[in-house]
Amino acid sequence: MTEVAGIPPAVTEETRAFWDAAAEGRLVAERCQDCGAESFPPRGACRACRGRRMTPSPVSGDGVVYSLTVNYQRWLPGLTVPFCIVIVDFPGHPGIRVAGRLRGCAPEEAFIGMAVGIGFEPGPGGFAIPSFVAVS
Amino acid sequence: MSARFEERVVISGIGQSAIGRQVDRSGLQLTLDAIGAAVADAGLVMDDIDGLAMFPGGGTANLPGYASGNLYEVQDALRVTTTWRQGVVEGLTLPFYGAAMAVATGQARHAVVWRTVKEGSAARAAGGRPAYGSTKPTAEGPLAWLLPIGMLSPVVQVAPYAARYMHSYGVTREQLAWIPVTQRAWAALNPDAVYTKPLSAAEYLAGRMISTPISLYDCDVPCDGATAIVVSAVETATDLRAPVRVEAVAGVVDGRPSWEQWQDMGRVGYATAAALWNRTSLRPADVDVAQLYDGFTIEAVWWLEALGFCGTGEAGDFVAGGERIGPGGSLPLNTWGGQLSGGRLHAAFGHTAEAVRQLRGEAGARQVPGAAVAAVTNAGGYEAGAALLTRW
Repeated sequence: MTEVAGIPPAVTEETRAFWDAAAEGRLVAERCQDCGAESFPPRGACRACRGRRMTPSPVSGDGVVYSLTVNYQRWLPGLTVPFCIVIVDFPGHPGIRVAGRLRGCAPEEAFIGMAVGIGFEPGPGGFAIPSFVAVS
Repeated sequence: MSARFEERVVISGIGQSAIGRQVDRSGLQLTLDAIGAAVADAGLVMDDIDGLAMFPGGGTANLPGYASGNLYEVQDALRVTTTWRQGVVEGLTLPFYGAAMAVATGQARHAVVWRTVKEGSAARAAGGRPAYGSTKPTAEGPLAWLLPIGMLSPVVQVAPYAARYMHSYGVTREQLAWIPVTQRAWAALNPDAVYTKPLSAAEYLAGRMISTPISLYDCDVPCDGATAIVVSAVETATDLRAPVRVEAVAGVVDGRPSWEQWQDMGRVGYATAAALWNRTSLRPADVDVAQLYDGFTIEAVWWLEALGFCGTGEAGDFVAGGERIGPGGSLPLNTWGGQLSGGRLHAAFGHTAEAVRQLRGEAGARQVPGAAVAAVTNAGGYEAGAALLTRW
């Protein structure tokens, strides 16, 4: 796949584990070692109990499209349009929501409530970016 | 001292520079034009001013042309001694909120807050509306989750809200068209609006899609221009030309401070609206004119519903046909054309200026007869702010 044009993320102490896992095709959130709650995006702090002992935790299983948009505007040179952005919730991981691209169907065929699998594709700056896959 | 800080302040002056798609003056000159006009409008002189506030602060620019009129340069140019200064983006609920707090607590007597944009010129230089965050090489903070995947503009981050809202409540583009169409009719009565040519619902529906379901005419107009607002202590009212009262101000963040993580994208601004109504005995039916933030059509929808002008999911019916929100309607909406037609003066500066004009009876051909109570709102989501202003 060709690299998606865009602006790469600034990687921080809190987000390094996410981008490292993404490069290996894995989606990780954070889990609190004290209360067990999952949280995303990673902040190095538990949003449930405010604990500070967080560890990367895998997110698995299909997600459900909470909302979406099909982008037609070419915001940057080299940006290929249209493309679909999906906001995905994970029924097996309460409170975890991840935004990403969508593959596996025409952008206009995407709909709220559709099931999507976890995936990544080459993004700006050599980073792997979330790119969900339509479940047929 | 009264219990509510709002009672200790008035909005005394508003001033604007030339406003247009491109205005060939620097941001500093536009800012000085607006401040000079606002101070004169208040009936004051520059030496009366002891508080200065710029929105946003100089370090927060993340869009080309987004933050012009630097605080330090403006203060130097005006030779003003300040007892209070501020340059913020975080914590902003409404443009005059910080200044009102400063005046109410005696840190300043007459404070000016301004917002200057050169986004129209920046868009021309970029060959189109520039990408969000494109002033920096990497996406930092919350933008790290948006820009790398292609959510490169505020349009793209707000579009899923509109999609979810329309999905949840069965609202259509044909209904929501009446917001931009009616605001354009208002803009025709405003000589300072950027776009004044009539817009039909058919033209709206034929407008090119930017990011579904947001099309061209759902987006506000990047422009150049400055707006300044003077906030004064209520005890100075006899020195002022035409003060306007601040009845209530509120800005509550009750959800995650993030666009994509906001839990219910169909409901926005409700906590701020509830806090606003808790600070006043006025009710939605008392509002004579509404200046509701409209960076995009959907943002005006949020506020119509959150403030209780109509029920949740009912804005489509409320605005359809434009009778309620247009000239002569029960809730005249964005009578200067809003940001959709009047220009993206941003952060409710244009909305606040128009509310003040309406309450003074100085709105010219678009004057709402007898306007005594105005609602003003800003942004939405985790930056939601709302106020009620009333006639002196």
